[in-house]
Amino acid sequence: MTASAITRPGERDRLSVKLGQIDWRLTGVITLIAVAGGLMQYSIAGGHWQPWAAQHMLLFGAFLLLMIVLAVTDLRAWFVAAYPTYVIGLVLLGAVMVVGHSSLGAERWLKIGPLHLQPSEIMKIGLVLALARFYHGLSAKDAQWSWKLLIPLGMIVVPTVLVLKQPDLGTAILLAATGLTVMMLAGLSLRVIIAGVVAGVAAMPVFIYLVMKGHLLKGYQAQRFLTFLNPDSDPSGSGYHILQAKIALGSGGILGKGYGLGSQSQLNFLPEKQTDFIFATLAEEFGFVGCISILVLYAAAIVIALRIASISHSHFGRLSAAGVTATFALYVLINGAMVMGLAPVVGVPMPLLSFGGTVMLTVMVAFGLVQSVRVHRYTEVSRGAGALI
Amino acid sequence: MTEPAFFFSEVNQRQSVFHRRAFVMGGLASLGLAALGARLAELQIFENTRYTTLSASNQYNFRLVPPPRGRILDRNGVELASNRPNFRLLLLKDEAKDPEATLQAAATLIPIGPERHRELLREIADGPRFAPVAIADDLSWEEFSRINVRNPELPGLQADMNEARVYPFGGAFAHVIGYVSKVTAAELKAAGPNPDPLLLNPGFRIGKQGVEKSLDLQLRGKAGGQKVEVDSKGRVVKEDPAGDIKPIPGQEVVLTLDADVQNRALEVFGEESGAAVMMDCRSGDILCLMSAPSFDANQFVKGLTAAEYTALADYDHKPLFNKALTATYPPGSTFKTMVALAALEAGVPTSRTYYCGGAWSWGGRVWHCDKAHGTLDMKGGIAQSCDIYFYQTALAIGPNAIAGVARRFGLGGTFDIGIPGQKPGVIPDIAYKRRNFPKDPVWHPGETPSMGIGQGYVNVNALQLCVMCARLANSERALNPRLIQSIGGVAQPAGSQAPGLPFKPENLAFIREAMAAVVTSGTAAGAAQLGLGPVVMAGKTGTAQAHSYAGGHGAHGAVGAWADRDHSWFIAFAPADDPRYAMSVLVEHGGFGAAAAAPRAREIMRVALLKDPQVRSRIVKPTPLPAMPVTPPGVIPEGAAPPPPTPLPGQTA
Repeated sequence: MTASAITRPGERDRLSVKLGQIDWRLTGVITLIAVAGGLMQYSIAGGHWQPWAAQHMLLFGAFLLLMIVLAVTDLRAWFVAAYPTYVIGLVLLGAVMVVGHSSLGAERWLKIGPLHLQPSEIMKIGLVLALARFYHGLSAKDAQWSWKLLIPLGMIVVPTVLVLKQPDLGTAILLAATGLTVMMLAGLSLRVIIAGVVAGVAAMPVFIYLVMKGHLLKGYQAQRFLTFLNPDSDPSGSGYHILQAKIALGSGGILGKGYGLGSQSQLNFLPEKQTDFIFATLAEEFGFVGCISILVLYAAAIVIALRIASISHSHFGRLSAAGVTATFALYVLINGAMVMGLAPVVGVPMPLLSFGGTVMLTVMVAFGLVQSVRVHRYTEVSRGAGALI
Repeated sequence: MTEPAFFFSEVNQRQSVFHRRAFVMGGLASLGLAALGARLAELQIFENTRYTTLSASNQYNFRLVPPPRGRILDRNGVELASNRPNFRLLLLKDEAKDPEATLQAAATLIPIGPERHRELLREIADGPRFAPVAIADDLSWEEFSRINVRNPELPGLQADMNEARVYPFGGAFAHVIGYVSKVTAAELKAAGPNPDPLLLNPGFRIGKQGVEKSLDLQLRGKAGGQKVEVDSKGRVVKEDPAGDIKPIPGQEVVLTLDADVQNRALEVFGEESGAAVMMDCRSGDILCLMSAPSFDANQFVKGLTAAEYTALADYDHKPLFNKALTATYPPGSTFKTMVALAALEAGVPTSRTYYCGGAWSWGGRVWHCDKAHGTLDMKGGIAQSCDIYFYQTALAIGPNAIAGVARRFGLGGTFDIGIPGQKPGVIPDIAYKRRNFPKDPVWHPGETPSMGIGQGYVNVNALQLCVMCARLANSERALNPRLIQSIGGVAQPAGSQAPGLPFKPENLAFIREAMAAVVTSGTAAGAAQLGLGPVVMAGKTGTAQAHSYAGGHGAHGAVGAWADRDHSWFIAFAPADDPRYAMSVLVEHGGFGAAAAAPRAREIMRVALLKDPQVRSRIVKPTPLPAMPVTPPGVIPEGAAPPPPTPLPGQTA
């Protein structure tokens, strides 16, 4: 296809053209990570497809198709859907508080017939879309520092607080951090950012003090946080996860113990080995080399996604693609830090590697959005169409 | 283009800010990933050795292998305590998050009553954090395999096999051997900060009484280890026989007891309460140390219910009490042997006579005797057990002389026989009175006659009386009793390694003759006949006041309420002419010594004698030919060898 062909009016709207515009390198990187995840699920089930590996790969296949469908969906459709998605997410979050299905002490699920709905996942996409849409219509000056920033701040704070109440610390952190990242990308004054960072660092001791006194966090969250600060205090209790994960990582060495030979994970020493701690299994069986390879794949996915965001002609496209990329990156960084004992155990999975349909769906929708931004990078998004402001 | 041109600079500003910030964000994300990589390098490359070690120790566990407890055998190798396989069901506390529900699941497989359920919940709550709790013992093979099949669906439950202590004779040895039972919290605390890991092993039992307690460490052995690959819940995945450490079995303990004698002793006591002790009067070995009634030690291993324990503890015959060691009684007339020997040693001739008219006035009181014996010399005094003779003999020599002799014979003392619980009793003298009665520190002459007949302050236990009898029979050495023959094959010092008796041999011989006369013509003439032809017993009866009765003569309680009746004693040795075995028998509230204790002593003694090959050779011999003049039956010259066997008539040489 020549450049002249693609500039012909209407040409970009043809499906075959759109499919050609999907970033297949990014798709390839995502697929590699997901396949690695499937391999690990196969290994920890003792060399069986059940109960995890088969479902993991089937879901990924289905979601890959979904990603392609979303990729060819017009960016203006995303734009129109932005606020409704956010509002639906907010309503469902509220509903969960009233009629939530409790699982492991946290009300996160909404059961509608056979469907287990986790509104906080919708919110991960919805928040980014809503913020991107809001900033799309905001001037650079206002984005820097003005009273209007109270609106995106409110957009971030309300779902974050609702999710924190469930309680789901990991998702709350993710939502808040993603939202703030979008605000910064949109041009928040550097002085404000620096002041915020300084204030945050200064507030840390107060935060730790309050947690220790039993305020702020619920029982097990506070315990996890305090255990993180001093993991050796209770090696068989709350510190168990961290310690066993570190043992799995450390004993992997440079080349690992070999596929299917990780004693930590095969013998169940690792908790939640198929979900939150899958990276530790990978580290144990494939060692430093395997881990770095996976981290490079993640880095590639993030960099490619950010480049896609940068070439978009619309501010909505830029911010939404970068926003979901931020979510993805935060997933990877928080889970990695948690597994390696650098952060408290907050229950954030490693995207695409961990078992679990909900998170995979979120991530694949996010990549669908990124791909859509790429496919529709020249699409002009009207500044005010359907906008509240 | 719907947007006005003047927005362009504005749009460009937003775009350029985004580009810069996105670049920074990409950089920060990469930096974060690089930090993760660095952390990985730290853990996987630089600290690899440390975590590899931790991983291995995670993966491999040493499972405690309890050693088999040492057996306890009698002198002939008969098992008195051994082990049997026991299938049981364990509740693993770290896996059973909800013990209540786990117990209910277990109840679908094996019966657990509501009371047991409560008991188990308490036990689960009280025990150490990770120690499994045995919720059922002695499962049948069917139950055991049913649990094993369903094991995967029963988290927190595990069926396994261990060894349980078993006492094949049940009660006969319970007081000597004792029993094992569960480790109590207090015992665990007493074991110090680093207790033997065995103590925490579920179902482990330690000795609580007798030999099981005093030799607990020797019997226990040392735990071994089995190297097993486990998963995070401690479930065994694979075994590694090369890495096993074998347990060191407990040492075997051989007792000097003879199971046949002891069993017969318990048998002849029937419903009666009392004790029987027998010693080899050459070596000092205790052949029998029995207290009746007894209890089934196996029940204690299993654990008694409150009701079962109350039944044992409240029974007035006191089955839990070791009457051979822990109970002291006045020795009654058996003590007259000591008084007589003291008199002889003090120079009183055997020909000294006293007149017994059935009652004797002295010191403003009337002292009674069983009957009017008439004029008796010392031999007659012992044989007829005349109280009036010994009132006066005791007065003639005084309490200190009697006490000195009695203590030489072991009365009022304890012996190192290897089990706890001996009560020394009292052999009184003037100093004793001064020490123990600050309000009335003077020995009154009126207290001496009572001592002369083994009453008053005199209190001894059955073992002491047996030792006294054995020393009298031996006449050379102050024999010590020995109960533990060997521990782990190492022989314990024999009781015959003892100092000599500092008494004139002729005086000792006289006491033995007098004791023989008790059986041939004295108080036990009817009751103590062995029926073993030439082998006869020598002995001394005793009747001890159990209750202070005021009536005097005739009021000796062989009738009336059981608890008011006199204690019945008999001490004996046999054969009278060549003593091998000495014994003491006590029948609590049995009445006259000759009536209750002597016949029982006879039966027990017969077993020992019939097992002794040397004694048998004297009993089992061909019927003498009528033509040959033989010594009258029962009268065999001392030291005479048995006649050579003669062929039966009709047999050709």
